Amino acid sequence: MAEQVIKPDLNFINEVINGGGESMKKCFQCATCTVVCNVTPDDNPFPRKEMVWAQWGLKEKFIGNPDVWLCHQCNDCTAYCPRGAKPGEVLGAIRKQSIKQYSAPAALVNFVNSKAYIPIMFLLLAGLLSMAGTFKIHDGDIVFTKFASTQFLQIVFTPVLLFGIAVGVLGVKKFWADMKAATGVTSGDLKGSITETAKEILSHKKFTMCDVNADRFIAHFLVFYSFIALGIATALGVLYIDILHMESPFRLGYGTPVKLFGFIGAAGLFTGALLMINNRFKHSAKLGLGSYFDWLLITIVTVIMASGILAWITRLAGVAPVAYSIYFIHLVFVLSLFLYLPFSKLGHLFYRSAAICFMKYSGREKK
Amino acid sequence: MEKKFGVYFCKGCGIGESVSFEKLKPRVSGKGKVPVDCIKEHPVLCSPEGLEFIKNDIKEGTNTIIIGACSPRVKYAEFDFPGTLTERVNLREFVAWTAEPMSADAQSLADDYMVMGILKAQKGGMPEPNILPDLSKTILVIGGGMSGLTSAIETANAGYQVVLVEKEAELGGWGAKLYKETPRQYPFDKLEEPGIFARIKEVESHPNIKVFKSSVLEKTDGQPGLLDITIKTNGNSESMRVGAVIMAAGWKPYDASKLEYLGYGKPNVITNVQMEEMAKKGQIIRPSDGKEAKKVAFIQCAGSRDANHLPYCSSFCCATSLKQAKYVREKNGEALAMVFYKDIRTPGQTELFYKSMQNDPGIMLTKAEVTGISDAGNGNLFVEADNTLLGEKIKVEADLVVLATGIVPATRAPQEYLDGLTEAQKKGDVAKNSYLEATPKPDFILNLTYRQGPELPSLEGASGFADSNFICFQYETRRTGIYAAGCVRQPMTMADAADDAAGAAMKAIQCVEHVAKGIAVHPRAWDTTFPDPMMIKCTSCKRCTEECPFGAIDEDEKGTPFYRLNRCRRCGTCMGACPERIVSFKDFSVDIVGSMIKSIEVDEDEFRIIVLACENDAYPALDSAAIKRIKINPKVRIIPVRCLGSTNLVWVTDAFSKGIDGLVLLGCKYGENYQCHFVKGSELANYRFSKVKETLDKLQLESDRCQLLQISISEYDNLPKLINDFVERVEEIGPNPFKEF
Amino acid sequence: MAENKKVLVIGGGFSGLTAAVEAAEAGFETVIVEKTPFLGGRVTQLNKYFPKLCPPNCGLEINFKRIKNNADITFYTLAEVEKISGREGSYDVTIKISPRFVNDKCTGCNACNEACPVEMPNEFNFGMDKTKAAYITHNQAFPFKYVVDAKHCKGASCAKCVEACKYDAIHLDMKPETVTLNVGAVVLAAGWDLYDVTKLDILGGGQIKNVVTNMQMERLASPNGPTGGKILRPSDGKEVKNIAFVQCAGSRDENHLPYCSYICCMASLKQATYLREQYADSKARIFYIDIRTPGRYEQFYWKVKEDTNITLTKGKVAKLTEDPATGDVILVAEDVQAGKKITERFDMVVLAAGMVPSTKALKIPGEISYTDDGFVVPGTLKKGIYAVGSMKSPVDVSKSVQDATGTAIKTIQSARR
Repeated sequence: MAEQVIKPDLNFINEVINGGGESMKKCFQCATCTVVCNVTPDDNPFPRKEMVWAQWGLKEKFIGNPDVWLCHQCNDCTAYCPRGAKPGEVLGAIRKQSIKQYSAPAALVNFVNSKAYIPIMFLLLAGLLSMAGTFKIHDGDIVFTKFASTQFLQIVFTPVLLFGIAVGVLGVKKFWADMKAATGVTSGDLKGSITETAKEILSHKKFTMCDVNADRFIAHFLVFYSFIALGIATALGVLYIDILHMESPFRLGYGTPVKLFGFIGAAGLFTGALLMINNRFKHSAKLGLGSYFDWLLITIVTVIMASGILAWITRLAGVAPVAYSIYFIHLVFVLSLFLYLPFSKLGHLFYRSAAICFMKYSGREKK
Repeated sequence: MEKKFGVYFCKGCGIGESVSFEKLKPRVSGKGKVPVDCIKEHPVLCSPEGLEFIKNDIKEGTNTIIIGACSPRVKYAEFDFPGTLTERVNLREFVAWTAEPMSADAQSLADDYMVMGILKAQKGGMPEPNILPDLSKTILVIGGGMSGLTSAIETANAGYQVVLVEKEAELGGWGAKLYKETPRQYPFDKLEEPGIFARIKEVESHPNIKVFKSSVLEKTDGQPGLLDITIKTNGNSESMRVGAVIMAAGWKPYDASKLEYLGYGKPNVITNVQMEEMAKKGQIIRPSDGKEAKKVAFIQCAGSRDANHLPYCSSFCCATSLKQAKYVREKNGEALAMVFYKDIRTPGQTELFYKSMQNDPGIMLTKAEVTGISDAGNGNLFVEADNTLLGEKIKVEADLVVLATGIVPATRAPQEYLDGLTEAQKKGDVAKNSYLEATPKPDFILNLTYRQGPELPSLEGASGFADSNFICFQYETRRTGIYAAGCVRQPMTMADAADDAAGAAMKAIQCVEHVAKGIAVHPRAWDTTFPDPMMIKCTSCKRCTEECPFGAIDEDEKGTPFYRLNRCRRCGTCMGACPERIVSFKDFSVDIVGSMIKSIEVDEDEFRIIVLACENDAYPALDSAAIKRIKINPKVRIIPVRCLGSTNLVWVTDAFSKGIDGLVLLGCKYGENYQCHFVKGSELANYRFSKVKETLDKLQLESDRCQLLQISISEYDNLPKLINDFVERVEEIGPNPFKEF
Repeated sequence: MAENKKVLVIGGGFSGLTAAVEAAEAGFETVIVEKTPFLGGRVTQLNKYFPKLCPPNCGLEINFKRIKNNADITFYTLAEVEKISGREGSYDVTIKISPRFVNDKCTGCNACNEACPVEMPNEFNFGMDKTKAAYITHNQAFPFKYVVDAKHCKGASCAKCVEACKYDAIHLDMKPETVTLNVGAVVLAAGWDLYDVTKLDILGGGQIKNVVTNMQMERLASPNGPTGGKILRPSDGKEVKNIAFVQCAGSRDENHLPYCSYICCMASLKQATYLREQYADSKARIFYIDIRTPGRYEQFYWKVKEDTNITLTKGKVAKLTEDPATGDVILVAEDVQAGKKITERFDMVVLAAGMVPSTKALKIPGEISYTDDGFVVPGTLKKGIYAVGSMKSPVDVSKSVQDATGTAIKTIQSARR
């Protein structure tokens, strides 16, 4: 094997440390983590090797590294780590670096993932929405379309979502190429891999392998499928209004599919988010409370759900000022979710899927 | 003292059911030449009544007591009768528990053992300690580093006078050259200020300690309690008498010039010692251009754990490099410290230090086999390594490389020089003289005037360390009264050296105290007997002077052996070596054992086998087998000896001329990991035995009748079988042809 | 000079024996207080010492001989210190002595053991076999005096042992006694316990039959052990031909013992030689984080490595399961240097379990401060009180001896005041 030149990068080390991996220097390479990890493949397993790379600041080792994304943050490794090095958390922090690597513009990653900038980020989004000029307390029945017309929402939210998706897709493209370069794998069954990946993601198979933090399965499962339900509800809206040019389905009665999906999604997401928060606290003694990176996503999801539900309740209760204000917050957070899609932890949607797919594509899947 | 005998036969623990006292009494009386009425029996001798029974006789004037009961290893407190000569005969373990009860074999065994016991008491005398005059209890400490300073302080605080000799102009050794120290106290997470200066101050101001700086030991003459030393200071010599010596001469770093493959010689490759000096001066800079070092690589085991250099781990380097990595980081928050290790060795609670030092963004470690250091331009270097955690073959750029060099004991150079001299001497005078001319003489430490050489013999195969051979007894040396401490003994950390120094101090004190009472030092630390050679009969063959494991015997100008009693450990090796059989102890001599052998009843139809068993391991093993009731062939008679080294060949003659059919020497394992507490007793016995075997063959007396068995104390389960197998082999050979004479 | 005070040594293991004997041979009266019925401590359970592979009973025999021949040393067994008060040069100590139910008239004839109908788990062999309630741990035990186990003995209603004893040595009505002493110095040498492997859940939690501890392995290999020295696996008595050693089983793990237990690397290397010596076709594999063979122990490591049937793999074992059909143990580890997660099957697995200072569970009375892990902090001890050996940090026998000998000189400094 050719001689590799190792280039330690103290900045990278500090970024990982400050990004939730503050424990990483404690690792002494015993490999307990790799053994207790039920998700890793046997060949070149993770996360032990990622830990030493991170300790040395070997940034380039993480370019095109699928393994940090194969990690599902069960934190079995963290629970059993004899040194308190928390590999699960460290890998989370490295994933943040990976997102930064692939989601352009990288500056946005910094802004989103910074305690200092995040209020500004939200204010900017609020400002953007305010441009509609319809944001005021309307008299009479509380009708949110008065407040923000469907057209307006479409004009603002659709491009933002498309931007988010585009960034993610471009990132995945780059990531895919890097993974190929890093592993030397040039060909494989892409179609089959995608199908298998979809099956795996839909079944949440990997999450069922977690031992210590088995509750994560339910939480993630709920959040994941709730998003799908909400997506379907939204898609139905788009179908009715924009394609079929029918009346907005949201105004129909409660028994309609749109409402049904909406309610299921809302309830599931709310429960899932609460479970996630609960899990964080339940295991905090051993696993820590998690990083900013983790909490940003949890917070956005929670606020979206809480504000959505509160807006609905206050609307029914007829408290217009409160209902409209809350709805506004709701809109800001939904928009942030779309915009931050590839820049926040939600970016895992792209990269983890790609990594799982690549593992199948390259034939490294554990038999 | 006129001996009045009392012979007691205990019937407890099955002895009474195995052996008939009535049969025993007349036989023992006849052969042992003691009046029948002094041979008594008791149901349980160790009971209060039994002891009272004996004590009543003592009141009546009985002063020589033979107790036929259990092993001397038990009931020692009960059968302790001060002022008497008491001999224990092991009828329980060696007869009742191992032979067929009430058989003729058992009876004859008991008879023989009792007679042997009586003979031993008849021939032996009451030990009286031999206390030499003009003894000194002052302790000499060689070396003023951590070990030496600590030894001096501990000894002085225990109330003894101390003389400390330091080669350098200042005290402190390596400890005074450190910038910071690895922590000694829980939670072991911070570097500490060097603690040595407080000790230097304590030594220099202690009323019981006299310090000689810039001084060496020119001569050490005499024996413990009477060691006459000459200290040379800047050309001036001063003589004085001391009682014992603590040798804490310390260590030197491994010669880095031998580590060219690790880049030593390149300007920016330094050793851990240089790193320490640099940190102490203030900045960590590159020697080539004086620029601050920002990427520092530490190469662990530079020379250590390497068959081409030092075959041992130097014990301190892992913690030291972690400490120095912290220096790099403390001096510059942007700098990197990269550690390349084989294994990180921070044993015990030092692990907590490892964890703490490692938890720094700029300290990084990998397991690696460093294969070389090459130039990377601008004075920078590439560390090249295989099998790392970062990849199979890697290359890392550094601007400064620190080689974690190890420990070489100060004893190594003299040892190597003397070993070379011995080799040359074997080839004759020409070779010897050319060796002396061609080889530079290293600094000797002790300069003993002993016949067996001027220095403390280091342990064989121990790379020059003056270590103990014994796990259980860390301060055993082959020169009584001279104890090694610190890194001359083993590679160790400074904290360990301080502990070690206290231990050596303890042994030095014990030595002068024992010498003052005329008692041996470890391992026979209760023994007041001593070798008492009948010098008129000495032929000056010098076997004793050569074979004494402790170099206790010098020679006078005429070449006559001269016993230095306080160096003696009472093993009896000289007694075994002497062809004239002139060496005796009060309770152990060629004559005593010879008489015991000759007293054994030999019948024409019966085989008789003698086992000479070392009393340290073999005897307890035989006892242990008996406790398990493992049968030993009753044709065997066991005679304990102090050490197989005390086996005199005349006993072989005694045995075979008497008609004994076979002889076993039962001793401990010898070789590299020898277990003999007197260095090489069983090995010496084997050597002597091999000589006698030739003679036996010449006499048409099959040499297979003699065997040396090496066993350890724990092999009792297999021991009876070994002996029984030997008996069978002798039976196959047939009876001793001398039997009929 | 005033009369020298006594030195009290708490613990009759190798450290305590050494401290007591060394101080006594400098002319000081010493008293050993030992919790169990016999002296010698942990090392009596070992088969051989590393690196010489010599038997511990050899050194013990010498030290017992030193005790037998030295009137300045006294000892109490089944004794515990209840109270320590005072200052350097004058500590008042209260010692509670539990009844042995056997007095000094015992000759060691074994009749009581034969007569005793009560079988109990043999703690000396870590429960791998049974012993009687009237017993002696092994045939080189010291003092060579039997003991009746208070917990398991059926008492006066049975008294078969009393009947069997011809020497009036057994009295089942013996009561606890209290002894008070004034001493000049106190040595803490209470020794260590093996880490409780039932806490190691991923390593089977003590539930897998053929996973034994390193101390059990010593007993299996000892001639006076439950198998007479043959290494047979517990589930079916099969000869062990393929063994794995799990290093740092509890040690260097902040979930268990955050420190390194010092002895386990050398112990496993040594135990690999036990197996190799018994069975020519056997194989041993040692899984480790770092091999720690400091100083000249390195040479022992090299020698063991020369045996091609002994392999060493860097990577900590973090999963052990049982194959119920065969009793084999399935082990999972990462072979770090090969970068592979491996699953292998072994006849038996040895957990190189760590050392816990006995003061973790049982504190010695007096103003003594301990680390979270139960070690004594030497710097905080009152003058005249000294801790030795594994009281302060995990150590091997050599280091215990060094330390205990060095401590002896400190005790005589205190006792001389």
